[in-house]
Amino acid sequence: MVAMETEGKVIKCKAAVAWEPGKPLSIEKVEVAPPKAHEVRIKIAASGVCHSDWAYLYDIAKMKPRPFPLVLGHEGAGVVESVGPGVTKVSIGDKVIPLFLPQCGQCERCQSPKTNLCTKNWEKTQQGVLADGTSRITCKNQQVHQFIGISTFSEYTVVPEDNVTKIHPDAPLDRVCLLGCGVSTGYGAAVNTGKVESGSTCAVFGLGAVGLAAVMGCKAAGASRIIAVDINSDKFEIGKTFGATEFVNPKDHSKSIQEVLRELTNGGVDYALECVGDVAVMRAAVEACSPAGGVCVIVGWIEVEELSLAPLDILLGRTLKGTYFGGWKSVEAVPRLVQDYLSRKILLDEFVTHRLALDQINQAFDLIMSGKSIRTVIEM
Amino acid sequence: MATAGKVIKCRAAVAWEPKAPLVMEEIEVAPPQEGEVRIKILYTSLCHTDLFHLLESTDNKGFPTILGHEAAGVVESVGPGVTEFKPGDKVIPNSGCQCRECKFCKSPRTNLCERSWVNDHIEYMSYPKTSFTCRGKPILQFTNTGTLAEYIVIRQIYVVKIDDDAPLDRVCLLGCGVTTGYGAAVNSAGVTPGSVCAVFGLGAVGLAAVMGCKNAGASRIFAVDINEKKFEKAKVFGATDFLNPKAYNKPISEVLIEMTNGGVDFSLECVGNTEVSRLALESCAKGWGLSVLVGYTNTDFSSKPIQLIYGKTWKGTLLGGFKIKDGVPKLVLDYMSGKIMLDEFITQRMKLEQVNDVVKLMKNGECIRCILDMSK
Repeated sequence: MVAMETEGKVIKCKAAVAWEPGKPLSIEKVEVAPPKAHEVRIKIAASGVCHSDWAYLYDIAKMKPRPFPLVLGHEGAGVVESVGPGVTKVSIGDKVIPLFLPQCGQCERCQSPKTNLCTKNWEKTQQGVLADGTSRITCKNQQVHQFIGISTFSEYTVVPEDNVTKIHPDAPLDRVCLLGCGVSTGYGAAVNTGKVESGSTCAVFGLGAVGLAAVMGCKAAGASRIIAVDINSDKFEIGKTFGATEFVNPKDHSKSIQEVLRELTNGGVDYALECVGDVAVMRAAVEACSPAGGVCVIVGWIEVEELSLAPLDILLGRTLKGTYFGGWKSVEAVPRLVQDYLSRKILLDEFVTHRLALDQINQAFDLIMSGKSIRTVIEM
Repeated sequence: MATAGKVIKCRAAVAWEPKAPLVMEEIEVAPPQEGEVRIKILYTSLCHTDLFHLLESTDNKGFPTILGHEAAGVVESVGPGVTEFKPGDKVIPNSGCQCRECKFCKSPRTNLCERSWVNDHIEYMSYPKTSFTCRGKPILQFTNTGTLAEYIVIRQIYVVKIDDDAPLDRVCLLGCGVTTGYGAAVNSAGVTPGSVCAVFGLGAVGLAAVMGCKNAGASRIFAVDINEKKFEKAKVFGATDFLNPKAYNKPISEVLIEMTNGGVDFSLECVGNTEVSRLALESCAKGWGLSVLVGYTNTDFSSKPIQLIYGKTWKGTLLGGFKIKDGVPKLVLDYMSGKIMLDEFITQRMKLEQVNDVVKLMKNGECIRCILDMSK
């Protein structure tokens, strides 16, 4: 084992701090404490910027409140800087991806093949703290919360050992970071949760990173028709790259999008994936499904609003489900997805439309809101 | 038969308009056309869907109509092109159909049929075309059946031939309620051995769902109803626990989550109430819980998408997911061999002329199923 000169010490480094909701992130010098038992400190090399990061800062009416101040970021990749007592799964120097969804391997959920929702530290990490109820990041003598226990908008972060997975040493961290959230979520929504079948007809609503990953998942599953739906027609070209066969802009039609899709497919699609996080779109996605066994997967993240449906739409035979991190058991699945990327089974480069430095992170949010980016990668 | 090829005059209980009592009338039933079967109905019973249409309709679109879609009878005559049935066959007419030729019938994922009236005429709860007339006026056939009439005419794809020895005064329940509830558990939910289930609403459909959960090997079956008089019957069908939501000062979903340490594996909503639909979903276990909507209503229901994102599944069922021509004859045989109960659903027996009494009993929750004998 090679000792890092920072091991066991507080690290001073840069991080993008959200002091309060509705305000731009502030680049600050923060202090990152050494890892405690069963924790891992990671030097973050790159982080994607996800719509959820933006939503918890600027669209808080739709999200459960998170404690501030807060370091956001949950789509990162890096190298282990040091480990706390009891950590055996990763070592200093390992390339890793921190995970907002843990996999302890022991709880009832980890033991079940039906779910990936590990319960380890769940309540704590949702509140932005680690197992002992405190965070490892402070700024100006104030505790700064760690977004979902992760905080990849910092040069260094500390996560529980069950929230980290070791990946192939050749993995390019500035691309595989996307497997920390968006790409895994969309791709898994199609192949794991929806269980898209070969020869089927699919519709994907919303062509951000999650939606494009869902398109890629539908294609990997062998769908024969993949209809990409977005109000921004500029996204159709990249939709094609990921495997979409048809494109529909709801604004081009006077009828509802679900009517349009039902007509296009003679009764409705076999699978619909909602990747926007809007309850009206979710309803449209359900109604766009074939009543004869059609499956709608809710992928877009929304915590507060309610989805309203007509009972007959469900009674006739549609199934409605949702997905969290694409249904992947995180620690064991992400390294396989990295491997799939290295062997060209899945695309990642094509998601990256912008690269910025940490100091420019607020521009990444502007890009999200303008619809000009798919994924911006922050290179630390 | 002496009546083959002729118009039959017979009795029927006609719903002339919403919210009005049914009226005993003499109606005329046309002979069957190409692909149609005319059936003499011997026994029928009412379902809450009949009551919903009669009592809750907000317009006259589906009227006048003859209600009833849970019945058994014998074939009186068949139209041209019908080879599957002959006069004298014991049959159950159904509100779902199975043509065996369309892509839906060929798919294992659904029991819908492309030819079903459901696809195009749901606002009338009937095909626009009918074989019934009364004093010169066409009378719709509710859900394409209309079994509160001594004779009905329906397409052969809606008719299920059953065993010659089947007791029609009991197996008529397989026309809707029992098939729906039982199938919701064993087909649509796919209840697994050892699982924990909750059934909301303990009418005939809910009790059949309890029976389905038990037959599927569930280890614990919560029976949930605000009317505790129903708990005794639920026990007969296999329920292990009994909950009256009014006995608690918090949502029943929270009670169930506490009692099961996280939520049930399967829940079945058999009431047709939007708030109950939400509670049934929310009672399910995070990660793998599955809630099946069985009860019908036309009011939107809602829940937070986060319930689904955290691993719950919401689905619905029509006729318990059974492909009727394949499923219903098997259920008849299951009854005859003691695998499923039917007698225990029957709480009253009356004559057709007493149909308004049955409506009242059902409204008051004093009836699980009343068998109406159609004979004079």
